[in-house]
Amino acid sequence: MTMLPKALPGAKRLGLVIDLDTCVGCHACAVSCKEWNSGGEAGPLPDYDRQGPKPDGVWFNRVHSYEADGQGCSRTVNLPRSCLHCDDALCVTVCPTGASYKRAEDGIVLIDPEICIGCKLCSWACPYGAREFDEEAGVMRKCTLCVDRIYDRNLPEAEREPACVAACPTRARHFGDLADPESRVSKLVASRGGKDLLEELGYRPTNKYLPPRTATIAAEPCKPAAGAAGGLGTALLKLVDRALSR
Amino acid sequence: MKPAGSILLLTTLTGFAYGLLAWIGAYACLGLLSGATPLAVAGVVLGLFLASLGLGASVLHLGRKERAWRALSQWRSSWLSREGVGALLTYPIAILFAVALRMDGDGIPARVFGAVMVATSLATVFCTAMIYASLKPIRQWHNSHTAPDYLIYAVFSGALLFALLHTVLLGTPGATGLIVATTAAVALLAKRAYWRHVDAQTPLASLAAAIGLPQGAEVQPLDAPHFTENYVLREMGFAIARRHSAKLRRIALGLGFAAPFGLGLLASLAIAPLAATAGALVCTFVGLLTERWLFFAEATHVSALYYGRRI
Repeated sequence: MTMLPKALPGAKRLGLVIDLDTCVGCHACAVSCKEWNSGGEAGPLPDYDRQGPKPDGVWFNRVHSYEADGQGCSRTVNLPRSCLHCDDALCVTVCPTGASYKRAEDGIVLIDPEICIGCKLCSWACPYGAREFDEEAGVMRKCTLCVDRIYDRNLPEAEREPACVAACPTRARHFGDLADPESRVSKLVASRGGKDLLEELGYRPTNKYLPPRTATIAAEPCKPAAGAAGGLGTALLKLVDRALSR
Repeated sequence: MKPAGSILLLTTLTGFAYGLLAWIGAYACLGLLSGATPLAVAGVVLGLFLASLGLGASVLHLGRKERAWRALSQWRSSWLSREGVGALLTYPIAILFAVALRMDGDGIPARVFGAVMVATSLATVFCTAMIYASLKPIRQWHNSHTAPDYLIYAVFSGALLFALLHTVLLGTPGATGLIVATTAAVALLAKRAYWRHVDAQTPLASLAAAIGLPQGAEVQPLDAPHFTENYVLREMGFAIARRHSAKLRRIALGLGFAAPFGLGLLASLAIAPLAATAGALVCTFVGLLTERWLFFAEATHVSALYYGRRI
């Protein structure tokens, strides 16, 4: 069913909050995602030309690094990019088969690989490039928000979070219910000014990104040591400098 | 966007096919086909054959071809699904039209089925166009030109097939030569207007907005997530050199629209009408394939921003 579900009262909006201030771009989330989803319910995730000159494969999470200019000095911003589980998910409504769907109960966007015909239209509809085609199975693939982990009662409760969140060594990734204003992730978004990516395109993504903090350590400009200005020593140094500059 | 051969064939061939069916339906509806039943029947057969070729080509594009039938289910939200439904509906209607025409000439039944055939044929082309026009991340498609343009090219290319059938079966192009010249001129103007429009567009978003930084922040890619191409870059990051696109635009305009305009005029003046319309058809097929290739190759996708591509 590719109509977007009507928002149920009290329904969850599960998603990720990613802190661009603390993400160090280590790719642990991407690797952990690949590992979990190659073996989990969504697996296998194919790889092509593994040992050849052009290795390639399906990943649900890709980590980009950018150089951003700010206040006179540039800084590195690392951006893990995956499905944002949008409220206005065009990837769902364009699907001709009903394989691509958004769950009413928690907002997770999923693909049913048994129904997908591999027309690729959903990947064209996603401005975030979050969907990748599985050339071996002939169907589209995407992030499942580890739906096979987060509800797994066999796992200890603390481990019922997406693999990418569990793997993050800097705790830059947070998982929770963004429909609940009292949840930890919602409070984080409110306090840090969490942003939608490509807000102007109007997809209303669930996942939020916390912008890098502006630098708070303002270094005092260097002051010349007392007594160093003027005097015989300075005159001598100037003389040496002039002689050497000739 | 990567131009896939199967999709180029689908959109071009169905344009010819449904354009032809629309002209035949319109002619029948206006009572212009009395005594020309073989022409109408030949047109229906050729139209359905070309539509089937195009639809067959589109199935080749699918990762799971055996599941193609599933594409008909989501007509409530998906233009691709609606295209499939429209295409399938046109078959029985076109067949009923041809049968009605053969059984009692261009009476009321044939005229009614003719009118319905015009509607379903053009609706199918419209749905095809809306598949592209509804994709918000692609500025060259998501605009007010795409849908009317697809209809114009279908009406034009269908007129050309109709002119050829008319000349072959009735020995004279009649008014169809003039129709070809007129629709070719309209198509040429539409294509030029489209190119003017997309050339003046600004990118849909900046890299800063793509990574959630404030508008105006200067951002450059530092490290890509992977060294080799992936699906997103192959499919959405396809880029064409500007000088190549300028050359191909001239070829598309010349072969696709200018040549059939001139040849249509020749046919309407009864100067070698058969050779003129046949030549125009060959030129137009090559020209429209080039035009369709450019429609994909020149289209840029917002997701390519993440890789530092111009969009």
